[in-house]
Formats: sequence, structure tokens, C-alpha cells
Amino acid sequence: MRVTQSMLTNNTLRYINQGYNQMARLQDQLVTGKKITRPSQDPVVAMKGMRYRTEVTEIEQFKRNMGDAHNWLETADSALDQANQVMQRIRELGTQASNDSYDASERANIAKEITQLREHLQSIANTKNSNKYIFNGTNTMNPPVIDMEEMMYLPDDLLNGTIDPEEADLVYNGQVYRYVGEEDGEQIYQDVRQTEPAFGDPEFEDGAFRLTVDGDGTVRHIRPNPADGGDPTISKTLRTNDVVVANRQAVSFNTQNIDIELTKGVKIPVNVNPGEVFNNAIFGDIIRLERALQDESVTGDELTSYIDNMFGHVDTIVSVQAEVGARVNRLEMMENRMLDQEITAKRIMSDNEDADIEMVIMELMMQENVHMAALASGSRIIQRSLVDFLR
Amino acid sequence: MTSTFHGLETARRAMMTQQYALQTVGHNIANANTVGYTRQRVNLTPTEPYPNAGMNAPRIPGHIGTGVKAGSIQRVRDQFIDVQFRNEYNKFGYWDTRYKSLEKVEDILNEPSNEGLNNQIDEFWKALQELSLDPSDSGARRVVQQQAVAVAETFNHVHDSLTKIQNDYKNEIEVTEKNINTLLNELDNINQQIRETEPHGYVTNDLYDQQDNILDQLSQMMNIKVTREKSGGNANSVAEGAVTVTLINDSGQPMTDANGDPIVLVDGTGESAHKSLAVEFDEDNPFVSGFTFLDEDGEVAVDIDLDSMPRGVMKGLIQAYGYGDDADSVQGVLPDMISEINEMALVFATEINNVHQIGFTKPDINGNVELGGLFFDLSAMDGGAGAASAITIHDNIKNLDNIAASGVSLDHIVDGQKEVYQDLLNADRDEDYYDNIRSFLEDGSNFVNGQPVAYEGDATNASRLADIKDAALAFGDSSTTIGSFYQSVIGDMAVNTSEAKSMRDNSEGLMHSVGYHRDAISSVSLDEEMTLLIQFQHAYNAAARNITTIDEMLDRIINGMGIVGR
Repeated sequence: MRVTQSMLTNNTLRYINQGYNQMARLQDQLVTGKKITRPSQDPVVAMKGMRYRTEVTEIEQFKRNMGDAHNWLETADSALDQANQVMQRIRELGTQASNDSYDASERANIAKEITQLREHLQSIANTKNSNKYIFNGTNTMNPPVIDMEEMMYLPDDLLNGTIDPEEADLVYNGQVYRYVGEEDGEQIYQDVRQTEPAFGDPEFEDGAFRLTVDGDGTVRHIRPNPADGGDPTISKTLRTNDVVVANRQAVSFNTQNIDIELTKGVKIPVNVNPGEVFNNAIFGDIIRLERALQDESVTGDELTSYIDNMFGHVDTIVSVQAEVGARVNRLEMMENRMLDQEITAKRIMSDNEDADIEMVIMELMMQENVHMAALASGSRIIQRSLVDFLR
Repeated sequence: MTSTFHGLETARRAMMTQQYALQTVGHNIANANTVGYTRQRVNLTPTEPYPNAGMNAPRIPGHIGTGVKAGSIQRVRDQFIDVQFRNEYNKFGYWDTRYKSLEKVEDILNEPSNEGLNNQIDEFWKALQELSLDPSDSGARRVVQQQAVAVAETFNHVHDSLTKIQNDYKNEIEVTEKNINTLLNELDNINQQIRETEPHGYVTNDLYDQQDNILDQLSQMMNIKVTREKSGGNANSVAEGAVTVTLINDSGQPMTDANGDPIVLVDGTGESAHKSLAVEFDEDNPFVSGFTFLDEDGEVAVDIDLDSMPRGVMKGLIQAYGYGDDADSVQGVLPDMISEINEMALVFATEINNVHQIGFTKPDINGNVELGGLFFDLSAMDGGAGAASAITIHDNIKNLDNIAASGVSLDHIVDGQKEVYQDLLNADRDEDYYDNIRSFLEDGSNFVNGQPVAYEGDATNASRLADIKDAALAFGDSSTTIGSFYQSVIGDMAVNTSEAKSMRDNSEGLMHSVGYHRDAISSVSLDEEMTLLIQFQHAYNAAARNITTIDEMLDRIINGMGIVGR
């Protein structure tokens, strides 16, 4: 083949240019640490890269979400723990006071301490986590328990209009009773756990657990008699200060969950339903205990029944605490899994798009040699022509 | 018997002819670096020997040679390699233009990177997730607002940049059109010169070179076929003739006009004037609506279907800019990308707006809440703008409290209607889905207090907004998530770009290889010219010596004869 000077110069230029192109590509890889700098260099890597990036961002976000969930649950856990201690202390004090050797003034002192503990329980119910009340559902900006006075009415207040019966919760022996109707001048309140028989049903008379308040303010507790024969119901007249009348709104009742998404599509509630722990029943029973302690007519034996009520509330708190604990466990499991996932996702992303630096450097060295060779050979070839050797 | 002076004439012819050859060598050396120059060679032919055959021819021994003459000066060129070269150059022109247009789009979209649309949208989802953790925090609201601004601005930026490049392409098409017409005109002029010169026996090498140069350039713009038309009269046998240029399609077959005749752009026979290219633009929208050739009177002579434009730079440019018969059927690299980005912005903004409108704003000081308003403002679309350029955050959202992060409080829905509400939420996502939910929320009779209540700490709607990320939305006929729609847009573009690049590289390689072969034949080798220089110089010297010898012979006859014994 005939080869001319201009062909050699053109080729030399092309080879040098090709060398620079290759080196520019390798330089890009070295500087960015990525295999590709534009999608067209490898469409598959680019597409996968976008998806993996999205996945990694997502996992990072879920990790942050988990941090928040931890915060919520741990704050709730420690608040419940404190509440538990408060209840234990109240129970202890009650047991102490039920000893008949305590006289009225000593009991009154114990009652004062219990009042303090009750107020402490209120502040626990109003626990905040990063400026949000955690025991009030989605209504995080308002404390669940605002005014204790609203849960300290007496049955007389139902009659004199201080509080509307429709708006009231009656607390007796750990249970809440609500107004269902009026009969023969008596206001009738039914245990909230019971929906059948309803007021007005023929079975109501014999089958309902209820409190009645008559026109004089006398409160009676009526319940079915489990024993065969005898009266179908057991009726008991109560001391008026043994029934606590509370405004239903005294403790907020927002029942909606705060859900946090922890992995794709999995949302778990991170709050404790306020109605389960800090309700009118628990505060009412404490108030009943206080009143009983201040009432000189109450015997030590009678006080024992209040202590049993406290046990019931401790149980409730412990079971809620157990549920929180179970959720924390679940959270931790998910967290571990998420950490694994994060490592995997980052590794896959890195495998997909990160340049193998050692290989790139090797290639660069090789390319450098090639480039040097192109320059050297070019410079030698294009310098000479026949003219140099002619006389 | 030949004349005594016969030798003188032979030597003179030799000197003259070698001098021609030396001059041609000089011309070659002078043009060694001229682009498109083809080396020339003198065809040396012996002059007619003596005597001529005939009745009265003298009877002498042998057929005595009478010397040499320069028969013709010819270009050393292979026409077949030209055809191959132009074919590759044409492919290269098309793919290179296409690659460059796709490369620009690639640059604008800038994926994968931390600045691209994909990442911006991811950041927006992240901000919404963050808001769902802490809906009462105005910091979280601020981040959502700012990320939304960033997403809108990225959409705007991508759209504006693409539109700007599209406008640049219009200019480039117009410049290229002028360029093509200039080339066609020049070719016609050169044809005319050749037709005037060749019948007189001249071989117009330098005009052929110019012609080939123009044809190379023209073949890059459009796929053409070149035919040489021999001149009449006393044309030299190596004269190449004027050229006829016809359009051919991708498979090398002639393209035909409405009558089925080949489309002749330049007529080598000189019977008709050359045609000129006219690219028609639509008046209202940015696309090419016609690809025509005009005759000398400016009338449309040939109208070429836009789907079968001749391959080349021009086709690449028009395909980048966009073409179609009407505004609805426009296609092309930039219009396609712009419409995909518009569609994505529209679906994205509409879905965010829909979901935002079933949530509730942050309660005011009296605890009153309102249903969320529009989140993104697309009102500029009414003026015909694309969604990606129209999208901004709505004025509502400039007040952070108006971000509707909360869902309605279920506790405040009247008994019996809660199930209705849940059913509405779980219903199929048809076109009435959000309207139904919204009219439920707007109806005060569904709520305990006669109006809906929503708590600040409730993040139901913020999570719904964040969940749009994984929701399958309707893009045209297909249903997919926003993320994967965008990924497929990028993927398509990347595959097209990569295809264009490899086609460009292939045709470039072939072009270089064919060009190399062409150079092997036609380019000037200085070494070769130097050897020829020496060769012709020696011949010239030898002819001079021959004259000296004859001169001595004559000197003997004239001055040395008849003086015998002196």
C-alpha cells in the first residue's frame, strides 16, 4: 500500500487524540470514583444506579423514622414505669393506713401524700417527648389531663346541675358508670363495660350492673345476684363520698394512633392509647382512697377493698408496658434487619456504579504507555523525508 | 532518410515534456497539504513515429521514433472509493448529529447525580416522611416547602434548558439549509465551467477536485448519488465531465418524486437549473412541517415525506428539533423529551394536589382547620405552557400552616359514617376518588360538631403524600410509579444515546478507513515526488546531453567537413 506523509500525520493525530480520549475517560473514573459519568456509557448501570440510590435514600429515611419511633416508645415506657411506681407507693400507703392502729390524723397525712402522688401521676400523664404530649393520641399539642378539679365532683353535683349527668363518668370500685336514663326520680348509671341489657329492656332490672342516684343524693350499687334463689339482685347503699363523679372530658379521649412507617408499607403505632391507662377510673379510685382516708367512719377493713382496686390499675399499667416492650422488641428486630439491608443496598449500589480504582489505575498506566508510544513513534516518523537525505 | 536535424527535434520534445512533468511534480509538492487535492500525473506518450504508413512513404529501415509528448495531465483518483467514502461520511454525519443532540439532553438531565431530578424528588419524599414524623414542627414544614420549590425549579430548569436547545436547533437547521444551497449552487457553477472547457480538450483537474470536495460536504448533509456526464465536442479521454446529483435513500436506491422520477438536485447535462432546499417551519409551534426542494422560480418542485428524509446531518438536526404533519404528531429527540418531562410534572403535581386537598391544614389559634388547597400551581398551563415549565408551588403553601399534613379526626365523625369514610378511602382509584372523599369531608353533617376536626399531631395526610412515591399512577396508557417512569425515560434516552454513539463510532471508523485508502491513492507523497523530481531531472539532463551530441555532430558537418588534408 502506498503511504504518504499526510496519511502519517493524520494517523498520528488520530492516534494521539484517541489516547487522550481514553485517558480522559479513565481520569473521569478516577476523579468521580464512578464507572460512568453519563447514562449512555452504560444504560443498564445508570438505570440500576438510579433505583439503588432511591433505595438507599429510602432506607436512610426509615432509619431516621426508627430513631423517632424509639424515642416515642422509650419515653412512653419510662413514663409507664414511673406511673407503676406511683401506684405501688399508693398501694403501700393504703395498706399501711388500713392498719386500724393508725388514727385519724395519721390517715389524713397519708391522704395528703397520696394527693401529691396523684398530682405526680397527672404530670406523668402529661409527659412530653420533644414538645409533644405522648399520651394524647394525635392531639399532641394539648395535655391529656388539664384540670383535676373536673374529676372531683360528688353525686350531689349531679342533682344540683353543677355537672350534666350526660357529661359525667361515675367511678366506683375501679369501674366507670355512665348515665343511661331516669326512672322513678332515680338517675340510673350503667357500667360502661356492659351494653346488654340496655336500659329499657325487660331484663335491665335484674341483669344490669348499675349505680342509682335518687332525689336525696343517696347512691346505691345494684348488681345481679350470682347465687341461685334469693333476691335476683344485690343492692348496696354507698357513702356519697365513695363515688367519684368526673367530667368525661377531664381526660382527653383522642383515640387515634400515631403511626410511623418503618419499612415500606409497614406502619406501627408508637403511642399508647391514653384511655387505657390515664383515665377517669384510675384518678377516680385514687380520689376515692383519699376521701376514704379522710373519712373517720371508714374502718381499716373497708380500706382493703381500695387496695384491691389499686392492684387492678397496676395490672393495667403493667400490661400496657408489656405491649410497649413488645413493640420495642419488634422495632429492634426491624432495626437490625434494616442495618443489614442498608449495608446490602449500599454494597449493591457500589458494585453497580463504583469504579474499581486499582483496575482503573492499571488501565491508566497501560494507556499512558500506549499514548507515549503513539507520541514517540509519531514524532520519529513525521520528522523525516527523503529530502533530508538528498544532496 | 530522416533529416539531419531530426535528433534535435526529438531531444527538444523530450526536454519540453520532462519540463511539464517537473512542473506537475512542483504543483503536487506545492499542494501536498491542500485539502481535497488529488495528486496529478503527466501521461507521457511517444509522438507518432516516422514514417507514416502510405504508398509514398520513404523506404527506410525501421520505424523511427520521434520523441515524447505529454498526452494528458490526469488526477490519480478512484471513483469507487469516493462512493464508499461518501456513504460512510453520510452515515457519520447523521449519527454524529443525532448523538450530539442526545448528548445535550443527557447533559441537561444530568443523571445519575445528586443534582438531577431523581434526587430532588427523592429529597422531597424524604421531607414528607420527616413531616409525617413531626407534623407540628414548623421546621419540617419549612423543609417540605423548600424541597417542593427545589423540585418545581428543577422541572422548570430542565424544561427551559431543553426548550432553549430546541431553539438553537432551529438556527442550526437554517444555517445548514443555507450551507446546502450554497454547495448546490457552487456545484452548478463548476458544472457549467466544466461543460464550457472540456469540449476544447482540456482536462480540468482542479475543477474536479473542487467538485469532489463539495460533493463530500454535500454527502455529509444528505445521502446523494453522483453520476458523471461526459462532455461532447473534442473532449479528452481522461476528462471526467460534469456531475449529476440525485437523492438516494438509506439502501442506496434513488428517491423519487410524485411522478416516480429520480430527484435530481444538480443536473450535469445543464438541461435544468439546480434545485434548492427549503425546510418549512410551523408558524405556531416549534417543529418542521415540510422538507421540500424548490426550482429556479422558487416553486415547490419536490415535497419529501418527513418520515423518509434523506439521511445526513440535515435529517439529524430535524429529528433533534422535531417534525410532524401537525402539532399533535410531532416527534423528535427534544420534543419527545420535553413532552415526557411535561407529563411527569403533570402527573406528579396533580397527584400531590389531589392528596393534599383531602388533608387538613394546621389548626389556627381557635382550633379551626381547613381542607388543604392546591399544593402546586399549574395555572400557567392555561396559556399553553408545558406542565414542567408551569409548575410552581402555590401561593397557599407560602404560609407553612397551609401544608395539609393532618388527616381528619375519626373520633369526630358521626357514628355510622366512619365506615363510609373508610370505604371511600379504600375505593378504587378512579377519577372520582378524590372528589368523593373531598365532598365527604366538606359535608358538615358527617361530623359531630358540624365541622371536621383535625389535630396538629396527626400526620395521616403527610404519610399519604409520602406514599405517593410508591403509588402506581397513570402515565398515558401505562401505570407506574413516578420514580420508575422517570427511570424508564432516562433509560430510553441512554439506550438511544448509546446506540447513536456506537453507530457514530462505527461509521467514523469506516470513514477513516475508506479515507485512508483514498489517501493511499490520491494524496501527495513527498518522497515519491522527490524521486520523480530526480527521475525527470535526469531525463531532462540527458535530453540536453543529446542535443549537445547532435550539436557536435552538426559542428562536424558544418565546420569540420571539406577540409580534408588541411
